[in-house]
Amino acid sequence: MTTELGIAENDLVAASARAGGQPRPPARFRPARVIMFAIMVVVAVIMLYPFLFMLLTSFRTEAQYQLGSGFSLASWRELFASQPVLRELLNSLIVSAAAVTIIVVIATAAGFAFAKIRYRARGVVFVLVVACMFVPLPSIVIPEYINVSKFGILDSYWGAIVVYAALGIPFSIFLMTTYFRSVPDELIEAAAIDGVSNLSMWWRLGVPLARPAMFTIAVLQFIQIWNDLLVALLFLQNPSDQTVQVGMALLSSGRVASVPALMASSVLSVIPPIIVYVLFQKHLVRGITMGMGK
Amino acid sequence: MTLTFWENYGTQLSLLNAAKNLIAAYEKLHPNITINMVNKPANNYFSLLQASAVSHTGPDLAVMWTGLYLPPYADIMANLRPYIKQPTWASIEGLQWGAKDFSASGPILAMPVDAQFYMGFYNKKDFAKAGISAVPTDWSQMFADCAKLKKIGVTPLVYGNASGAYSGEFNPWYDFSYMMIGALPPSQWQDLYSGKIPWTSPVVASQVSEWHQLFVKGCVNSDALTDTNNIGQFVSGKAAMVTADGSWDVGQYTQQMGSNVGAFVPPWSAKPQHGVVYFPGDAISVLQESPYKAQAAAFLAFMDSPAGAVQIAKAGLILDIAHFMSTNPINQQMLDFVQKQHFTMYPMLDNVTQPDIVNVGYQVLPAALVGQTSVSSALGSLAAKHNELPAGQRSTYAAYFSTP
Amino acid sequence: MSRRQVRTAPAGSAAAGWVLSLPALVAVAALLVVPIGQAVYYSMTDWNGITSTWVGPSAYTTLFSDPTFLRVLENNGLLLLAVPVVIGVPLGIAFLLHEQIWGWKFFRSAVFLPTAISWVVIGLIAVRFYALHGILNSLLAHVGLGFVKTNMLGSTHQALAAIGITLVWSQLGSNTIIFITGMAALDPALAEAARVDGAHGPRIYWSIIMPQMMRFIQFAFIITVLTAFTAIFSLIFVMTGGGPNFGSTTLDFCVYQQAFGQSAFGTGALLGVLLFVLVGAVSVIQVRLLRSKV
Repeated sequence: MTTELGIAENDLVAASARAGGQPRPPARFRPARVIMFAIMVVVAVIMLYPFLFMLLTSFRTEAQYQLGSGFSLASWRELFASQPVLRELLNSLIVSAAAVTIIVVIATAAGFAFAKIRYRARGVVFVLVVACMFVPLPSIVIPEYINVSKFGILDSYWGAIVVYAALGIPFSIFLMTTYFRSVPDELIEAAAIDGVSNLSMWWRLGVPLARPAMFTIAVLQFIQIWNDLLVALLFLQNPSDQTVQVGMALLSSGRVASVPALMASSVLSVIPPIIVYVLFQKHLVRGITMGMGK
Repeated sequence: MTLTFWENYGTQLSLLNAAKNLIAAYEKLHPNITINMVNKPANNYFSLLQASAVSHTGPDLAVMWTGLYLPPYADIMANLRPYIKQPTWASIEGLQWGAKDFSASGPILAMPVDAQFYMGFYNKKDFAKAGISAVPTDWSQMFADCAKLKKIGVTPLVYGNASGAYSGEFNPWYDFSYMMIGALPPSQWQDLYSGKIPWTSPVVASQVSEWHQLFVKGCVNSDALTDTNNIGQFVSGKAAMVTADGSWDVGQYTQQMGSNVGAFVPPWSAKPQHGVVYFPGDAISVLQESPYKAQAAAFLAFMDSPAGAVQIAKAGLILDIAHFMSTNPINQQMLDFVQKQHFTMYPMLDNVTQPDIVNVGYQVLPAALVGQTSVSSALGSLAAKHNELPAGQRSTYAAYFSTP
Repeated sequence: MSRRQVRTAPAGSAAAGWVLSLPALVAVAALLVVPIGQAVYYSMTDWNGITSTWVGPSAYTTLFSDPTFLRVLENNGLLLLAVPVVIGVPLGIAFLLHEQIWGWKFFRSAVFLPTAISWVVIGLIAVRFYALHGILNSLLAHVGLGFVKTNMLGSTHQALAAIGITLVWSQLGSNTIIFITGMAALDPALAEAARVDGAHGPRIYWSIIMPQMMRFIQFAFIITVLTAFTAIFSLIFVMTGGGPNFGSTTLDFCVYQQAFGQSAFGTGALLGVLLFVLVGAVSVIQVRLLRSKV
């Protein structure tokens, strides 16, 4: 890009590279590094073990699971027979993606305003919005439910989407505002001198610059919303709207829960968040770097 | 027309199958009606039901539990009397536990599906191998049999948390019911409710202490609170007895153990036991704000008719009518306690105890079994919770309906 | 132009500021502030969602005289003891990853991926980990400590510790990511200058790097406390059901149990308001404490 926007972004990237993103000198086989490597191997095993457990267990029957060995597809069949798994995955995806989109749009707008546009009561509004980070979900979920039910949106995705969006906005605005604060004011001031209006500045300057933070917020919020149970249980009243987490709750709350079928459900449930993470991981690191920079 | 039916049966196969059988038969008789079963997680079921009533997105039919589980939801349930004819009521045992103010002539808010026993089960092969010829019927026989079973390397009595609906530890109210049967006649159970006999009184404490002694003497598995495979251990014979159990597991046990399983009354008394917990705990209600109350109630009427009874019995459940005979030998063995041996029938203790106290019991009673807390402080917690209750929740069962 | 003049906002910008931040404000006010206000009202009533009977502030005093409630608060306090570990261990891992030992990118993903697993599944695996015949005991046996047979979840005093350890494990990923990106944003010149002056190893970390990481540590602290106090009720439910003997019942579990297990919506609101106050108080206190160190 040869517009001022393109120049601005490259300047920014160069600045961040100088700030410490340079790679270190190549590793040498010092004993200290070998020990560090060994420690990381242990850590990786501890962190990844549950995935192995889920996979192995899902390919056993209940009896084989108690014994600790064996291979069978019966539990997978049981899962697909007892739950509309593909439909649930789709529902989770729709609700999570819609809520994340709303969160990103609102946070990018408000974050820019709080960081770069001076207006009265900005400070108060910012504190109010970010303080809502401390409102615990279980504390508000019942009154929330009753309020939302009055709008008649409980038999569609919208009830859950709206609530998830509200829950994710405070933290996302906090991240986005901090991110924008680390963007040098000079860029904004240069555009202001040229007579660009604030709104235009947001759209043509702020939004492109915010891409790393947008991806960061998207990844973190997607995982959080995908894994939520309480809101999904309450706000998706239509049985065909139920998400993967609700399906797992149903599987695990009988008198005799089939652990392998539950593990099969968990395997399916972790795949989309992992995909989202893998796709966006480089943005994740960069976004938090910029967000916490100053 | 479509009716929605919320259930919390989870993986309780016999209730689930009974419901499915009933629905299939009913839909065949009434081709213009479809009944949709919607499964809700058992842990949150009642809150979700209450919430759905608030938002007017509730079902037409819903599972409801009887006894003191009913009053909090009495306002959102419809009176079934106007819709169902008189003769049906006459045959149902324990109908009053599903009625407003627990009065058999009052509005009926929940129609029982089946009658359930709290019951212990034992592994016949293990007993034979240990040289036990008759099931224990009191504490001393229990301790004696315990020693014999330990000699052959079998866990005498196994507890665990393999029941998903009550996560964490096991549900202690099954055993606690039998401890109170061993201590008090049915008429005095209301004194536990009202506080005339406090939870800390010696008659209660001595029973719970004996129960704790089972653990002390090694009759119970040491991981009673956390064993995730207790049912598997019983089925395979590694453990000889389970007592935190009931008629809902009969299907599974007969399927996996055949004739190797027998029912026995938990012998939690100083002298031989002659009481059983036999109670219509599981019921179905019609929601007050359903626009199809008449049709929904008609389904419940079918459930209690002879044609419906066949469907319920087919699923291995015990019908809630007097003199019912079951084809399942274990079910019949339990019924014989009542029909042939004339054991006294008691309700389920958690269905006639205030819910707040039941919840405290979930926490403190398992801990008392394994000695994590003393018997006196566990019972003290129950008594303390009792004292916090408003007066209206400590007088008569019926009064529970009218207090907030 | 003086800097002060440049910083004055151009005309019309205040409107832009409001336009960009209004959606956030409206969403947060309607969906977060209103319900917590309603929760405050309903906390002083007997409420089943449909009808409410006024009880008054005595609801609070009755609660504080209930010994079980004090026990619950104590448990929340004990859980805070896990927080230094939830900060310290990821700091260590972040240091190891920052050194860019061989395979560090893989290790970074391995550490973060478990955030994709939901609390229910973590809890189910944890139950089997801590069981008498579970993984922890067999590991102990392998290293010769077989005589130590733990049964943490069956012990009133150890159950909370087991939950704390599980919390540490689950937060490792997100906190490590925060810290490695923080380290990547460090100014290498400072560390270089210190090395030139003769300082090395641990001293560099303690006096040079740590102060620069303070902002990140503070951020991680807030997120961790929020999670520990408001998000783990599903974990507790699956692992211990709050027991034995209320040993692992925390305030958010109480809220969940009252509102979602017993439909005691009024009591749920009461506990929910207290949870909100507790979370806010702890967060404000820690911000002050850590700020003074910078």
